[in-house]
Amino acid sequence: MDFQESDEHRALRSAVAALAAKYGHEYWVEKARSGEKTTELWAEAGRLGYLGVAVPEEYGGGGGGITELSIVCEELAAGGCPLLLLVVSPAIAATVIARSGTPEQRGTWLPGFADGSVRMSFAITEPDAGSNSHRITTTARRDGDGWRLTGRKVFISGVDETDTTLVVSRLADSRTGKLRPAMFLVPNDAPGVEYQPIPMEFTSPERQFTMFFDDARLPEESLVGGEDAGLAALFAGLNPERITVAAYACGIGRYAVSKGAAYAGSRSVWGRPIGAHQAVAHPLAKAHIEVDLASLATRRAAWAYDADDPATGEYANSAKYAAAEAAIGAVDAAVQAHGGNGMTSEYGVGTLWGAVRAARIAPVSREMILNFVAQHTLGLDRSY
Amino acid sequence: MNIVVLVKQVPDTNSERRLTDSDHTLDRASADVVLDEINERAVEEALRLQEAHGGEVTVVTMGPDSATDALRKALSMGADKAVHLSDAALHGSDAVQTARALAKVIGTVEGVDLVLAGNEATDGRMGAVPAMVAEVLGLPALTHARKVEVDGSTVRVERETDEGVAFVEAALPALVSVGEKINEPRYPSFKGIMAAKKKPVTTLGLADAGIDAAEVGLANAATTVVEAAPKPPRSGGQKVEDAGDGGVRIAEFLAAQKLI
Repeated sequence: MDFQESDEHRALRSAVAALAAKYGHEYWVEKARSGEKTTELWAEAGRLGYLGVAVPEEYGGGGGGITELSIVCEELAAGGCPLLLLVVSPAIAATVIARSGTPEQRGTWLPGFADGSVRMSFAITEPDAGSNSHRITTTARRDGDGWRLTGRKVFISGVDETDTTLVVSRLADSRTGKLRPAMFLVPNDAPGVEYQPIPMEFTSPERQFTMFFDDARLPEESLVGGEDAGLAALFAGLNPERITVAAYACGIGRYAVSKGAAYAGSRSVWGRPIGAHQAVAHPLAKAHIEVDLASLATRRAAWAYDADDPATGEYANSAKYAAAEAAIGAVDAAVQAHGGNGMTSEYGVGTLWGAVRAARIAPVSREMILNFVAQHTLGLDRSY
Repeated sequence: MNIVVLVKQVPDTNSERRLTDSDHTLDRASADVVLDEINERAVEEALRLQEAHGGEVTVVTMGPDSATDALRKALSMGADKAVHLSDAALHGSDAVQTARALAKVIGTVEGVDLVLAGNEATDGRMGAVPAMVAEVLGLPALTHARKVEVDGSTVRVERETDEGVAFVEAALPALVSVGEKINEPRYPSFKGIMAAKKKPVTTLGLADAGIDAAEVGLANAATTVVEAAPKPPRSGGQKVEDAGDGGVRIAEFLAAQKLI
């Protein structure tokens, strides 16, 4: 067993970290506060091929996998620039299209994912379905040579900075009449599509939206993978989402620990740096260990996904759980080490509280992960 | 136009840098080592010249096995191939020995039109090696460049030093060393990182490069570090109490230091 990352992975980490350092946390906060987007960072990361690391080479991508995409996600976050859209656009949407799209859909979309010029939102959550994707009510029906989509989605990231949304819905099977999952590529400006921002209590350049589909007319080719793609197409995207959210949380955790340690090492009270006191040092050391363990779990999950390992689901869930908990602990420890400064905008630590707290809820809640592990790993009875 | 870029792996300037107690040579184990930033700028300039004029970019380094990482970084930025002079006998070589050894290595690369280097490494701070290499090779040395242009067989350089800016030119082949203002180095793209893995790196020992072991190394160096002491901690400095004339007194202080 070899825990040493390859030369290429280390080089990618260091290159992405250098790019993140050029922009820095202040840039990210400034964009979030002013309501602007992280367009410059996104475009530069796209040109350098960091956003397209996992897109197949034949479409101009890097030919890597979720392992490489997780490195990009973690390093940007560790440099103070966690990009939520990275989880949605390259991790979910590009993966779904690469794995399940028709040859035409791959040809249309993947070159844009490779250089970051395409940005796509992903809509699964519904007000009445919550985490239960089997109870989705957004429904598509045949309409001549196309489709009509009706339904409502909540907590959809970045709709104001993407052109298209990958919408999880249900489709009446032409043979059995039963409803089954299907995904549609929906232009955000299509007639019958509306979206409204949801005011949120956290710092993020990406905003959250409610989307409404009112008999929205879609062309034939908007159905991802054709009529038979179904559930497999959806699940191809959900594990990368969990794994990259884990990487995003680990990156924020590393950023917080390093900020906390730097402050504890330089802030002197009564003649000694406050970090010389165990009450300040131990929470930071504990946070470091927990973030590091979560990062290991994330790498394992990414490896498993890229290797088509059957344990990917459990690994991805474990990584997401561990990373969210570790990141919350890390930001909390860093804020505490800073005292009042931890809650100021200037010190750039409290700014991450919302992002890590959200990672305990999304894309799948801590409780649903525990349900999954209790039922599937431990063989316990399902509670719901 | 074929370009050789001289690069060096140095301790990261963000980490604590020290000399070993035993022989006062650089303690490489105690710090993270990176491709020196000024060399990234030299590589960047070589790649820009290559984009305009074609040819091949070869990066050359002298250093221990770990220096391969510095070469890979330059290759991931876009250089075509690398030559690594690595031999235990080189340990502790001084500037003159280093320049002679690098000149031999440059001699193994065919048809070199231009040698690029950073003007000074962040570890040794000698700033002498580029000019010495030019001397050994009999090439014109255009140092401290903030702008480089090649026109046919002529290289034109804006040379910026504390004394001012000079506009100099030389016939190729020549050596140019670049300063901080020359450019902003590119980040390696993911494709560049993956491609670097497949690019050729030639590793040479002393014998391969035609270097006599008696001419290099600490024991044969012309200069010796006799003693080394860490930099003293910063002292308190001078406090200016503002009695209404604070601004004037700060200006006077800065003027006395020739800062304004």
